[in-house]
Formats: sequence, C-alpha cells, structure tokens
Amino acid sequence: MNQWLQQVIEHGQSCDDWLSPLRAQSLAKLHTMDWPHRRIERWKYTSLNAFDDLTLNRDTAVKTAPPGAIEGLDSIDLVFINGILHTDLKTQVLPKGLRISGLLETPKSEQDVANNIFNKVKPEHHFFGLVNDVLAQDGLIIDIEANTNIAKPIRVVSMSTDKQGSHQRILVRVGANAKVTIIEQEQGDAASVSTCFAEYDIGKEAYVEHYRFAMQSAEAMYFGGCHFSLQDHAQLNSTLIAYGSALSRIDVDIVHNGQYTQAKFNTLYLLGQSEHFDLHSTIEHAMPNGTTEENARGIIGDKAKAVFNGRIHIHRDAQKTRAELNNRNLLLSRRGQVNTKPELEIYADDVQCAHGATIAEIEEDALYYLRSRGIARAEALVMLNFGFIQQLINDIPNKHIAQWLEPKLKSRFVKMQVI
Amino acid sequence: MLKINDLHANVENITILKGLNLEIKPGEVHAIMGPNGAGKSTLGYVLSGREGYDVSAGNVIFNDEMLLDMDIEERAKKGVFLAFQYPVEIPGVSNMEFMKESVNAMRKQHSLEPLTAAEFLKKAKHACAQVQLPLDFLKRGVNEGFSGGEKKRNEIMQMILLEPSLCILDESDSGLDIDALQVVANGVNSQRDGKRSFIVITHYQRLLDFIEPDYVHILANGKIVKSGDATLAKEIEKQGYAFLGLDTSEEPNI
Repeated sequence: MNQWLQQVIEHGQSCDDWLSPLRAQSLAKLHTMDWPHRRIERWKYTSLNAFDDLTLNRDTAVKTAPPGAIEGLDSIDLVFINGILHTDLKTQVLPKGLRISGLLETPKSEQDVANNIFNKVKPEHHFFGLVNDVLAQDGLIIDIEANTNIAKPIRVVSMSTDKQGSHQRILVRVGANAKVTIIEQEQGDAASVSTCFAEYDIGKEAYVEHYRFAMQSAEAMYFGGCHFSLQDHAQLNSTLIAYGSALSRIDVDIVHNGQYTQAKFNTLYLLGQSEHFDLHSTIEHAMPNGTTEENARGIIGDKAKAVFNGRIHIHRDAQKTRAELNNRNLLLSRRGQVNTKPELEIYADDVQCAHGATIAEIEEDALYYLRSRGIARAEALVMLNFGFIQQLINDIPNKHIAQWLEPKLKSRFVKMQVI
Repeated sequence: MLKINDLHANVENITILKGLNLEIKPGEVHAIMGPNGAGKSTLGYVLSGREGYDVSAGNVIFNDEMLLDMDIEERAKKGVFLAFQYPVEIPGVSNMEFMKESVNAMRKQHSLEPLTAAEFLKKAKHACAQVQLPLDFLKRGVNEGFSGGEKKRNEIMQMILLEPSLCILDESDSGLDIDALQVVANGVNSQRDGKRSFIVITHYQRLLDFIEPDYVHILANGKIVKSGDATLAKEIEKQGYAFLGLDTSEEPNI
C-alpha cells in the first residue's frame, strides 16, 4: 500500500470527534479501494506517481500571507491555513439567517445539519473525497435559513504552505427560497498537498452562486470536489477556475433531485509548464424538467496536460430535461496534451441534449488579421487567447470577481508561453 | 509612394505573380482588374505580408523603404492597409477592443499618446456612422455573425479609423447589393484627400462607377498586361477579357 495512504488510514483510526462514526465508514471504504492507478478508467490520464517522492513535515510555521481581498467585493471572509480555520467565528457579525460554525467547535444543532449533509451529497466513489472524509479535521458548516437573501458573498480562503498537508470540508445547507453567493478560493504554495471537498444541499427555489478558484503553484498537489444537490426549482450558477498545479484534480457532481432545477456550470483552466489538471464532472438528472448548461474551456501551453471527463446521466424519470455539455480546448504547443471525453447517458425519451468537445490551435488567419492592423504578434496572441475564454468571463455573474480575475488570468499567459 | 519592381511570388510552390511592375504616386487611385486566378488577391496578400506567400524575385519600395523586409504589423504601422475580401471572424475579441488596440498601435508609431476609451469611442462612432454600421457592432466579436456586406463595411470602418497612406481594397464590392456598394464607395471616397493612395482590386467595372480610378490595370497570368484610364474598365465590361487576346488556360485556380 502507498505510504501516504497508510498514514491517512492510521490518522483516521486514531481520530476521535463527533464526526468519527461517519469518518469510520469512509475509512472502511478506503480500505477496500486500490490506490488509484492508470488502469482504472477514471484515473487513466492522471498519474499519482508524484506521491512516491512526497515528504511532508510537521512544522506548522506559516511563511506566506494568505491571498488578499477581491477588490470592490464586500465579503464575509473565512481563512483557513493548512486546513485549520484562522478566523475567529465568535467575533464575526453575521447577517440574520446565516449561521457559520467550524467543525472543531460545533453546536449540537449544527452537528445535526452536518450529519445530514456529510457524504450525503458527495458520492462515495471519489477516492480523495474519502481521504478528505478521514483527514479534514476542520471545516465549515454554513447554514442559511429559508427565505433569506444573504447579500454579502461568503468567501472561504484556504491556503496550503510548503511541505504541508491541508484538508478541509465545507458543508452548506441552503434553506428553501434562500439566496447566497459562496466563493471558495484555494491557494497552494510549493510542495503541499491539499484536499478540499464541499457539499451543498440546495433547498427548494433557492439560488446559489458558487465559485471555486483552485489557484496553485507548480509543486502544489491539489484534489478538490464540489458536490451539489438541487431540490425543486433550485438554481445553481457555478464557476470553476483552475491553474498552476503539477498535479490537480477536481471532481464535480450536480444532482438534480427535484423538478424544474437549473444548473449552469462553467470551468476555465489555463495550464502552462508541466501543469496537470483533471476535471471529472457528473451531472445527474434524476427528476423531470431540469436544465444543465456546462461549458468548460481550457488553454494548454508548453508541456501541460488537461483531462476532461464530463458525464451527463439522464434517468428514466427525468423527462423534459434540457442538458448541454461543451468542452473546448486551445492547444498552444506540440508537447501539450488534452484528453477530453464528454459522455451522455440517456434513459428518458423526451429530452433535449447536446454534447461536444474540440481541441484547436490558434488560427493563423486570425493572427494575420490582427497583425495586419498593426497589432504586434505577442499582443495579438494575448488577444486571441483571452478571446477564447472571454465568453466564460462575461458569464461570471459578479462583475467585481470578473474584473479581479482578468489580470490574474492574463498573467498566466507568460507561463503558458503565449508570449 | 509605392513602386513594385518585377515581383515574382509563389504560393505552395505555384508561381502566381510573374514579374509584376506597378508605380503609384500619392493621391492616385489604381484599379486592378483581371480574370479569376490572375493573382489579384495574391498581390494584396504579398503587400500586406501574409505568411505562405513567398517572394522569389523582385522588390517593393514603399516610401523609400523595402516593404518586403518588414513584419506584417510593421507594414500596417507604416501605413499599408488591406481591406480583406473574406474578413476573418474572431469570436471573443470585441470589435471595439480590437480597433482600440489597433488605433493606439498607429498612434504609438507616430509618437502620439494613446486614446482614452472615451476619445476612441467618439472616433469610432463617427466611423461607424460613415459606413452605416450600427454602434452595437463595436461590442460584438470581430466580424462574428456579420453578414457579407457588414464585414465589408467593417473593413472600411477600420480603414477610416486607421488613416493609412496606402489602401488596398480586395474585392470590397463582391457580394454587395447596390445600396451597400454605395456605402462602401462613399466610405472610400471620403478618404480620398489627394495624398492617400488606393489600389482597388475588383472583378467588375460596377465599383469603378462609384470610385473613379486614375488608372486601370489588367492583371493576367501574374503580370500587368494592359494599363489605361477609366475607359479601359468600361471596355472590359462590354467585351470581357477575351478582347485582350489572353491565353487564360494555364491559370491556377487560387
């Protein structure tokens, strides 16, 4: 057995807190699973060999400052450093209808909320999800009362520093007809390993605007998960941005458990150097009249590698479902690699579905056109690359976030050898 | 301002231009006509620097400089503008952003401060009005979903904004109805100031009813085979290219 996994299991066996009964189930499951290898379909293009050389230390001194604020955004900020919440929840003044508690100190009432979400939204087949079940000592329970509109976005910032393992869990209950924006901003530095899994139980007619930013630096290994359950008339608008990690993977599940649900899910990945990003998304339409619109776009430069596996599964009862899945990739170099696989599995007979995947290069004609108007080649390349992702940036519902992202994304182009 | 000497050019190892000579002085309008495959568009691409067009002999002197030694963008900044026959669609890059970058690249060339967004918008509005393009075309992706006529008008709009010294119009009349043709012609005529020169590449005499040329050249088999004034175009309209007695059988279809 892999040494790192051995440590995870040992840690799990010694863990004793109010979540232990649930963690024990995951531990048992983990015992029965193989360490992911490339003969397993869902790990075919993502190798975990980097774990062989992994050395983490227990020095918890933090050398880097957590990421700063998002300019113009008045948010409720909650900061994790190496998996431990550093924000004092007692001093937070929260709007009416919003309760936030940490997993280390959880009132009984919120424990009940958590017990109903923990591993109830996230499917148990995610290997690193199980690891997170076992290792995430700390995390958040975000509980939004029915009929409340939380105007301030909630921003959960997580930072992993050199040679650290950091693991946290976010459990969110959104009451019926409530409205909330939650930003999960994750930054990994140097040789760290982090897992961050979030489960959202979205009530009837509720609206969730969600962001997951996995902004890593090269040596950081990152495994994330975003899992959503939607009740009748619930709406989800989720944006995922990933870059910078030598080994990263995010698993997303959106389960339409109610009727007339709407999910919009956009992903952007900008990979350069030897970065690796793997997105596995599964959309389950279990009930009728739901809609899903999933768009993933990536630019891959240098020796980077992208993996996309997007699955839409329409169950027998999910009549009148409308679902679209599209993955587009711009491959900038000969050494880069993209493996993309959209999957549609349909058991209902009255649905509208479409899926597609493309891998393209920069169009020489477009480059010539821009240059023929006096725009320098490097500048024209930035325009064309940014143009490729512009539509998804325009789709971001919060303009402050879009403005904050733009220069961050443009600065990636240097690493991607666009210029 | 422009002197083309014995220009030979190949595309994918097929020789298209076979010794083309042409001299254009400031303020002149030269029409280039000719049958399909004569090399008319190739001339435009070679002058603007498109990759894949190899010059095997000859040279081009533009305002005392060797044009063919310059990069694509450098030629544009020095004042060469090609209005494309088939302008490319670039979704995601807005027309506005594209033109602002472009105008500011020209201004930088002339040591002028870049325009602010507001200053640019004012100029762009004016240019749009001149070619009767609605303002929301500025917000759309470059040529994205534009009709053929809208693309052509967008080219002329760019020409008005960039104020080049040499404008090459590559079949700017093709696919236009008579109203759109007039709009394009008016846009071009508004830029005739006695200093700016034009190469008008066209199949049909029709455009030349609106843009009156100083000279008309017939390009066939990669060479200019006949030159004259505006009456030459009218003759061709009446009789076709056949009256020139050209052997057009070996023309490559490019």
